[in-house]
Amino acid sequence: MTFKEWTAVTQIVGVIIVGLWLWRDVGTDPAAFATVNGAASRLVWLVAIAIAFNIAAIIVVTILVSIARGRELKDEPADERDDWVAARASRNGYVVTSLAAAVALVMLAFGTDPVLAAFALFGAPMLGGATDAVSRLVYYRIG
Amino acid sequence: MGKGKPHIANTIRVLRFNAGEMTQAELAEKVGVTRQTIVAIEQGRYSPSLEVAFRIADAFKKPLAEVFTWESEK
Repeated sequence: MTFKEWTAVTQIVGVIIVGLWLWRDVGTDPAAFATVNGAASRLVWLVAIAIAFNIAAIIVVTILVSIARGRELKDEPADERDDWVAARASRNGYVVTSLAAAVALVMLAFGTDPVLAAFALFGAPMLGGATDAVSRLVYYRIG
Repeated sequence: MGKGKPHIANTIRVLRFNAGEMTQAELAEKVGVTRQTIVAIEQGRYSPSLEVAFRIADAFKKPLAEVFTWESEK
């Protein structure tokens, strides 16, 4: 696998870990998610954790894969196929992000608990990012 | 590009063999794309732009029609 594919895998793992982290957090400390303020502040922290995890994970993966292969895993300059894959994967990611964000708005419009809307707003870019990463892997593998 | 079943066949594998078993990495270097892109083109998983197609043909000093051929759907 190339550096770009490993980055996509790392991103998918990151979304899964952040999702599990959130699941555990809600389970162990439901009071923190009882209000919109409380839930939003926890979710903002999770965004920071997700960004930090992705940066750290790609560094660790690069080192481990380089050791396993016996040569450095380097990111090659993008060519036209990389641009083609990135464009289509981004399009898929934007569609999912937009739909999930729209769901959050609709939830608010119909008077659903705003805490759930906050979760939906948090989940929208997470789902979009995961869709983008999965799409990249699929387009690289299948074409 | 890359949408649906590709209808562009190519002779890159044969041409590489005839060019002294040129590696995919060497061809990629000459054309200015990644090795993965050459692999995808060779396997018919990706249809290159006209410019890259001409660059590949130029790498083998062959006319474009000898490298890429259009296969009609019928």
